[in-house]
Amino acid sequence: MTVRHQPMLIAESHQTPSEDSAVDLGNKIPSIRWKQWLNPKNVSAFYVFVVLFAIFSFWIPDLFLTKTTWRTLLDNQVVTALCAMALVIPLAAGVVNLAVGAQVGAASILVGWLLVKQGMNPGLAVVICSVFGCAIGFMTGLLLVYARIDSFIGTLGVSSLLAAFITAISGGHQILGMPTGFADLGTNQLFGVTYPVYFVLIVAVALWYLLERTPAGRRIYATGGNIEAARLSGVSTAKVIIGSLVLCGLITSFAGMLVTARLANADPTIGPGYLLPSFTGAFLGSTQLKEGRFNIFGTLLAVYVLATGVKGLQLAGAPVWFPDAFNGAALLIAVALAKLQNGQGRTMAIARAIPGFLLRRKGVASTAVLAGRQADGQEP
Amino acid sequence: MNNAELSGGSRLLKIESLSKTFPGVLALDNINLTLDAGEIVGLVGHNGSGKSTLVKVLAGIHRPDAGARIDLGGSIHFIHQDLGLVPMLNTVENLDLGRRKGSWAFAPTRRDERAEAERLISRFGASFDVSVPISKISPAECTIVALARATASWSDDRNILVLDEPTATLHGEEAERLRAVVRQLAANGTGIIYISHHLGEIVELADRAVVMRDGRVILDAARGEFDRERLVAAISGRISTEPAPARAIEPKRAVKLRVRALSAEGIDKLDLEVCSGEIVGLSGLIGSGMEHALGAIFGSRTCTSGLVEVSGRTVPRMSPKHAMKAGLAYLPGDRRRLGAVLAMSAGENLTLSSLSSICGKMGALDLVREWATVEHDMRTVSVRPPYPDQNFALFSGGNQQKILIAKWLRTKPSVLMFDEPTQGVDVGAQSGIYQLIRQAAADGAAVLIASTDEKELATICDRVVVISEGAVLTELVGDEVSESRIIRASRGHLARVANYPSKSQGQTQVEVRRI
Repeated sequence: MTVRHQPMLIAESHQTPSEDSAVDLGNKIPSIRWKQWLNPKNVSAFYVFVVLFAIFSFWIPDLFLTKTTWRTLLDNQVVTALCAMALVIPLAAGVVNLAVGAQVGAASILVGWLLVKQGMNPGLAVVICSVFGCAIGFMTGLLLVYARIDSFIGTLGVSSLLAAFITAISGGHQILGMPTGFADLGTNQLFGVTYPVYFVLIVAVALWYLLERTPAGRRIYATGGNIEAARLSGVSTAKVIIGSLVLCGLITSFAGMLVTARLANADPTIGPGYLLPSFTGAFLGSTQLKEGRFNIFGTLLAVYVLATGVKGLQLAGAPVWFPDAFNGAALLIAVALAKLQNGQGRTMAIARAIPGFLLRRKGVASTAVLAGRQADGQEP
Repeated sequence: MNNAELSGGSRLLKIESLSKTFPGVLALDNINLTLDAGEIVGLVGHNGSGKSTLVKVLAGIHRPDAGARIDLGGSIHFIHQDLGLVPMLNTVENLDLGRRKGSWAFAPTRRDERAEAERLISRFGASFDVSVPISKISPAECTIVALARATASWSDDRNILVLDEPTATLHGEEAERLRAVVRQLAANGTGIIYISHHLGEIVELADRAVVMRDGRVILDAARGEFDRERLVAAISGRISTEPAPARAIEPKRAVKLRVRALSAEGIDKLDLEVCSGEIVGLSGLIGSGMEHALGAIFGSRTCTSGLVEVSGRTVPRMSPKHAMKAGLAYLPGDRRRLGAVLAMSAGENLTLSSLSSICGKMGALDLVREWATVEHDMRTVSVRPPYPDQNFALFSGGNQQKILIAKWLRTKPSVLMFDEPTQGVDVGAQSGIYQLIRQAAADGAAVLIASTDEKELATICDRVVVISEGAVLTELVGDEVSESRIIRASRGHLARVANYPSKSQGQTQVEVRRI
């Protein structure tokens, strides 16, 4: 075991990158990108969609392959999609917002109350409602940042306060009789598709741009990734957290107003139902496209793939409890997948899954010893 | 698995032709290694040389490739770098983890537990309050708790102890205490595998030094057959450049950083001045405030009084954002926890502090420009491979640190501050980092380095400020800046400091309990 002394200076070798690392990356990037994009690991939801589509197309072609089915599918998921995308922003900033459902409900009731009970101009009502949503997000943000309440508990508390607010102004009753001008917003069509579908697209593009293409988005992801490191890099993490909740509040209140417009009445029980599907969408979305990162288009994809599955099964005659079961199971699988995708989880899981005796049979004389006592050591 | 030779003789561990292949990588290549009772084997090598993989194979986390033979002649215990203690629980509770005491239904009384815990740590010459949470005791004491826990369950004298960088977070004096404990354990017949980046420690402590490189054992030399230079040569595969060509700096350049009577947690009216082009070191024992100083200057720790001036202008508010705007840059020692966002790519980390510089029209990020500049920067600081979109966590320690240096150089700082700049960085990358630091200073930045590695300070600094009890104790300039002088300066006053547990040094003793 001798050491060859090579008269080379460390400093020298560090100054000039070696030839092999100097490959021209510029030419490589596009092809790598495309392959990555189509990798089933990257867009598994897309492949799931293809499979679902194929199954239902053969199973119930007369019900599944109709224009109406697809039109209603797109339209029905509008609020869920908006909520899930709204949720992506605080989640990306490391804040779990459990109040999204209540925020939708509160905005829905508030806009109905303003329009019907106060007879307000729809334009003004929409503005007030949006401000209300922002204010809720702002207050939540202040609580989390300055009172240092854990986001889980803090937003749970806020959601309870909002539930009280809903009951207080509605008295627990539906508010009926929206002005037609307002209801049209939720039901009118353009090129055979309802307005809200276009709203979703606009919001999606805007949020994608914010998260992926602006410094603010980078700061949001940095805060969610490591809040201390972000702070030491000069990011105002308090502003990021509050801002993300304000934006989330704005979009959820917009979603709430759409609910009221689509139903032409305001229902005090509507909000909480959107909580679980939003989380399912956001978490499943985080396993898509951006390897473990919460992202807008992954979320949109996830929401619609799940909806396709539910819709197909409903058409095929699944019982009424089925959508809840499907969403619950999907959420659990989504979170598990997201965990696996982060860090070494995946490799460790695979290592554990391979039984030890399979490897030992190959003649490996290994001693699997974990920290602590080892029984073999004491044998004579 | 246990042959007669092992159970009878003094050999505790024998590894023959151990290889480990990961997809596409040969992590361990035909390793042969033995360990006798009472022997201390120092294991050194670059990050990524295969040390960790070897330990993980021994711990049973990885399975070796077919054909390997590992014979154990005793039980094997691991103390990992992070020690595996629960910070919220106290010493008593941490010691009880993984052990069962009392009858099946009743836990032992608290008093018995306390007494037992105190007895266990006293075997390592330590006496501290065992009822305070682990998060409140010093790093050295944490290490002792981890050692006490590992040795408490030993039922005979055939034991192997694997220590993974036990002194990484310890200061000189505390590290010396730990080494005394290790020697005692060895004297009682424990075979010890001691992994460390501190070569001086290996030279001093190890009966045998094993150097790994590229998954192979490059050097396996008994005591007396190796010295520091030999180890460095074996680790890096080449001869290292000897430190600092003495740099002549003109005296009295512009003062870039002036700290006046700064007080914060652990800091008491600290005064400092650093000139343009100057590299100033901060030395001191853990607990002296040296480790908090830079965080306080940068505003990441709450300051109670005092002010910081950069290039003559006072930083308006003590917060990282304002410090950054004023021209300060700070690289914390704990990269994974404070320095970087591990979930983001190298490029995203690199531009995080200077996002406005890569903004195009309408305030949007210009991703093409970002990619180009990031790649350029990564090449400039010689990060390999220079892939901006590779996940930050996938780079080695040295490369991570270089990326972070590049990140802060992008902000064109007037003052560059480092906590432990080469912690967890291999020997080869170290000199690269030193060169980057020197270059930054040569370009006119004032550099401030807080380090517990005196050799590092002696290598790179023009001036070393020794901190004690949160304030400046003394200053070493010019020829005085040498490893031994710094060590003497930072420890010399110990006798005067009240309550320092120096008395325990004489008592350090270990008896391995036999049941």
